[in-house]
Amino acid sequence: MQEVLLKPGMEIRISVEAENISPDKFSNKTAEEIKSIGIRMGNHKTTVGELFSVKVNGSGTPEDTKIVMEGDFSRIKRIGEGMTAGTILIKGNVDMHVGARMVGGRITVTGNADSWAGREMKGGELVIEGNAGYYLGAGYRGEACGMRGGKITVMGNALDFVGEHMCGGEIIIKGNAGILPGISNNGGKIVIGGNTARPGSEMTKGTIIVNGSVDEMMPVFKPEGAEDVDGVSYMKYTGDVILNGKGVLYVRE
Amino acid sequence: MTVITDALCPFCGCLCDDISVVVEDNKIVDVKNACKIGASKIRGHHRIKSPMIRDDKNSDFKEVSYDEAIDKAAQILAGSKRALLYGWASALCEAHKKGILLAEELGAVIDNTATVCHAPSALAIHEKGVPTATLGQIKNRADVVIFWGCNPVHSHPRHMGRYSVFPRGFFSGKGRRGRKIIVVDVRKTNTAGIADEYVEIQQGSDYLIISALRAILSGHEDVVPESVGGVARKDLLRIAAILKEAKFGTLFFGMGLTQSKSRYKNIDNAISLVTELNSFNKFIMMPMRGHYNVTGFGQVCTWETGFATAVDFSSGAPYYNPGETAANDLLYRKEVDAAMIIAGDAGAHFPANSVRELAKIPVVQVDPYWNPTTEVANVVIPSAISGVELEGTAYRMDGVSLRMRKMIEPEHLADEEILDRLIARVREIRGE
Amino acid sequence: MELLIKNAAVYDPVNGIKGDRTDVSIKDGKIVDKVSSGCTGIDAGGRLVMAGGVDAHSHIAGSKVNVGRLMRPEDSRAGIKPRTKTTRPCTGYTVPNVYAMGYRYANMGYTTVFEAAQAIMKARHTHEELEEIPIIDKGALTLFGSNWPTMDFVRENDMDKLAAYVSWGLLASRGFGIKVVNPGGGEMWGFGKNVTGLDDVVPEFEVTPSQIITSLMKVNEMLGLPHSVHLHCNNLGKPGNYTTTLESMKLAKQVKAGKDRQVMHVTHLTFNAWGGTNWGDFESRADEIAKYLNNNDNVTTDMGQLIFGNATTMTADGPVQYANAKLLHAKWGNGDVELEDSSGVVPITYVKQISIHAIMWAIGLELALLTDDPYKVLLTTDHPNGGPFVNYPEVIALLMSNRKRQEEIATLHKAVHSQTKIPGIDRELDFNDIAIMTRAGTSKVLGLLEHGKGHLGIGADADISIYDIKPDEIDPSAEHSKIKSAFSSAAYTIKGGEIVARDGEITATPAGRTFWVDAKVPQSHTDEMMKDIRAKFKNYYSINLANYMVQDAYVTHQNVIKAGVGTAASEVD
Ligand code: SF4
Ligand SMILES: [Zn+2]
Repeated sequence: MQEVLLKPGMEIRISVEAENISPDKFSNKTAEEIKSIGIRMGNHKTTVGELFSVKVNGSGTPEDTKIVMEGDFSRIKRIGEGMTAGTILIKGNVDMHVGARMVGGRITVTGNADSWAGREMKGGELVIEGNAGYYLGAGYRGEACGMRGGKITVMGNALDFVGEHMCGGEIIIKGNAGILPGISNNGGKIVIGGNTARPGSEMTKGTIIVNGSVDEMMPVFKPEGAEDVDGVSYMKYTGDVILNGKGVLYVRE
Repeated sequence: MTVITDALCPFCGCLCDDISVVVEDNKIVDVKNACKIGASKIRGHHRIKSPMIRDDKNSDFKEVSYDEAIDKAAQILAGSKRALLYGWASALCEAHKKGILLAEELGAVIDNTATVCHAPSALAIHEKGVPTATLGQIKNRADVVIFWGCNPVHSHPRHMGRYSVFPRGFFSGKGRRGRKIIVVDVRKTNTAGIADEYVEIQQGSDYLIISALRAILSGHEDVVPESVGGVARKDLLRIAAILKEAKFGTLFFGMGLTQSKSRYKNIDNAISLVTELNSFNKFIMMPMRGHYNVTGFGQVCTWETGFATAVDFSSGAPYYNPGETAANDLLYRKEVDAAMIIAGDAGAHFPANSVRELAKIPVVQVDPYWNPTTEVANVVIPSAISGVELEGTAYRMDGVSLRMRKMIEPEHLADEEILDRLIARVREIRGE
Repeated sequence: MELLIKNAAVYDPVNGIKGDRTDVSIKDGKIVDKVSSGCTGIDAGGRLVMAGGVDAHSHIAGSKVNVGRLMRPEDSRAGIKPRTKTTRPCTGYTVPNVYAMGYRYANMGYTTVFEAAQAIMKARHTHEELEEIPIIDKGALTLFGSNWPTMDFVRENDMDKLAAYVSWGLLASRGFGIKVVNPGGGEMWGFGKNVTGLDDVVPEFEVTPSQIITSLMKVNEMLGLPHSVHLHCNNLGKPGNYTTTLESMKLAKQVKAGKDRQVMHVTHLTFNAWGGTNWGDFESRADEIAKYLNNNDNVTTDMGQLIFGNATTMTADGPVQYANAKLLHAKWGNGDVELEDSSGVVPITYVKQISIHAIMWAIGLELALLTDDPYKVLLTTDHPNGGPFVNYPEVIALLMSNRKRQEEIATLHKAVHSQTKIPGIDRELDFNDIAIMTRAGTSKVLGLLEHGKGHLGIGADADISIYDIKPDEIDPSAEHSKIKSAFSSAAYTIKGGEIVARDGEITATPAGRTFWVDAKVPQSHTDEMMKDIRAKFKNYYSINLANYMVQDAYVTHQNVIKAGVGTAASEVD
């Protein structure tokens, strides 16, 4: 088992590209080795050690590596990008693209995560205890698929375009979601605890469940009557009819 | 006295190329064929006379030489970690190329004025593509023309006369009488005044209405409720029927569509609508681009970097992600540590927060005109007016590239030369 | 500036050299007889040396290429390479940025590339991009097949006016030759329609595709253009279209070549040698096309080889692209150009287990392997329609190794066995054949042999590639992966006598030249023709005539080839 503790060594204003903060990159490395890992702030090349204090206990494979980050990381992007295993616990806020393209392992953010959290995620688990920004579990510009697998849970609210172009996996939002969640859903599952607007536009597959109210229903769904899901009664809709979609939208009665 | 004919107007995206200017003693004394705004633009106003610098933004500018101003600008930019090079809409493509090179050299972010108007259209094109045509196709063929969230009477005065509403063409010999004009907007604009069909919609409901039309056209009118976004179902059915029967339909759209609720997803949806209309007949669409060469920057940036705008060179390779890398994203996050505003007025068109942020960081302005950006600048480098004092390339709103003519001799440096000298100086400072 | 390449195993089909050990001498950018002793030398050490590669059909610049980039940021983010001291940043795979275009071609040993389609009205854009592509020489073919003046003059059967229009159109677009795409269909797509065969009549213009093709071939020969008419057939993308392709080829019999070359080049056969009547009984009829080519000498073709993975289809054939977008539920770019043509852009992914794609993969290879004379089938992928040009080495390896083909076939949809002949073809091409399909042949088809491209004779351009292959030691059939990797990054690429690439690294980025053809016609013909053109501008174009033609500022390194009615071909730099 390896535990790595990172704390910011200074206030960071310009965003840092930190895809190298991941169990895959830290496993079996000493504090000194981790400090020397490259990282970029704006156009300036720097190292993990220049920006963060680093403590390491033990050593281990990526599966056995846990990274604990304490402090404000709201200008640190792409933490855990593409990670395959291990855990990251961020006690604070994080910047964009946390857990982007992640394949396995688990990331927990105790604060808020900025936009594109879990972008193009394939597997593993991402938990955001605060709020999420735009494009949670979405794709990259122009790409046909966003999230393909894994699970994202947001305890607070998420902004617009949740799960855009989702092709698989599961997103659970306890609070509200912004406009157009599940747009172009091609097979993922989205559960929204609170309210949202215009869900499910252009969905062809997958499921969206809204437990709060829907402001502005898209005029592209066929009502299918009431249906129970896990003992709760919902109005069921299928669509998007324009695309002969087989997507299912449940809205709490 | 000389007369320059077939000149191009450097104002709006119509890029009218039939302008005549009369020049006497290197002064433009008459402008023919242009509309009022075009003519006044060609005649010029509020020029910046000399390069100027100041350290403290509350103090007055000091007039300096070009060398001194360029040196000062280079010092600011070369020392930055996150520089923003913004503007470009009133510059020629030749300058755009140099601007991209400068951004590369600096590891900066380059973005253009589309970010506050039609960049959302690009985001939609990434999703769905871009069914379009040159303006002459519309002139020769269109029998149904929609203006959605735009008001050409105001913003593009000769558009309707030259391309879209009134002209007679090969298959459109009846001109205006052979065309059905539909205006969709939230208020009755001047353009709506000349329309055959005016569809007033609730603010922000564009997306819903487009989807409703798509549902009707795909044979699912049963799912469309009695009223969508303030438009009655029967009206939607009528409009859908008109669209379906068009031999050649065109959807022109403006910032009413790109900047309202759902933003670029409105365009995304509209592209699908237009694409699906091609199952019946021909239908194309086009953004009503504002500045005369805002289109050109997008073209140049795309072939140089692979991306249309908002390109971040901080890693040495282009990275593009509007929402993250566009000018206002960075200013909102207070990341920018130096800015160059060139051929575009951030001071006038940016949200107040962004302008406040610009006021806090070193700013270089390159522009022929004194404008609100000047108020937040530390270094001001006056430039020649592209398309009046300089010849070079611009792209019309339909992506046709044209060569702007020179009408009079410049007294100031060209953007291209300013950028060349900046690049050289930055390289020196960085010891390359 | 002198350079001597020693111990070269040279393949130079034009000069009959097949792997002989010789030296190649270079002076001032040209191949010379000998150089002074003590000049800089490269010891090729018995490695393969060929003239720089020449690509006769690729979509590298202009409006639709840029639409492809704009539509596909997800493609641009593939293939990203930061700037270096010598190079600008690269992006893209199917739609690379301008820098990647030049560097990647140069790294493969290619030094001359022709953009396959530009509308006159958008030619300025094409040249702006061509100017920015580093290293390689280039040119662009100009679309004439659906232009209103073309159809008017064809209808009037006025070949003098048509020749004058072509001559003027080439000047206006700084174009190299006549490109014809789905003749007549480009106009009809203006109203969302299309022609369905060579004898359909285009409404309002009252001409047929067959008349358009034949007339343009006639004026092509009247003008003595270096290249022939370059045809993208009607009905492309439809099962059974090989019959239209064969009928189009037969039209070539009506015209006699004015030069030692074909009178018609039919392009990217992967998309128009299709049998069957629908997607269910879809099959390859490349064998029929090959049979025709084996019995006729006035037509050449190129493969348009399909490469599995991502591609971006882009063509002036607007209707086929709309059909593709609908079929694939893909993004759709459309770009009609008033009075001239249409165009469309649609992304696609070719998948080994999709029967249609597996069959299409076979078509290009079958055509190349069943046609006896490699001068008649050029190597292309119709970049980026069949796949990106960086895959040429893959195609070379497939052509040289039956073993590689069989390994590949084993991974494909079974339809490749029942619907194509490729599994049973054991022909393996040799280095001489490859040198023809990528250099000698492409240059001959373009009419550039006499202008110093595609061979290593005295006076030719010193465009040379050296590959890390010893032809007398390698067995291409067994060692196909070595063939592929060697052709992927030339040991040396020399352009105009300068070393521009070494082992996959760009070492210098000189500006390439742009070839275009200045074809003269009698002034009286031009005067007559211009009356019609002026009327077109007055009534129909949305720009003024004075702003139409591409200005000198957009062709800063030009190589003008003179041609024209009654003019001897000559060249001016
Ligand atoms: S319409 Fe636009 S381009 Fe034309 S003259 Fe007026 S301002 Fe200039
Ligand atoms: Zn092609």
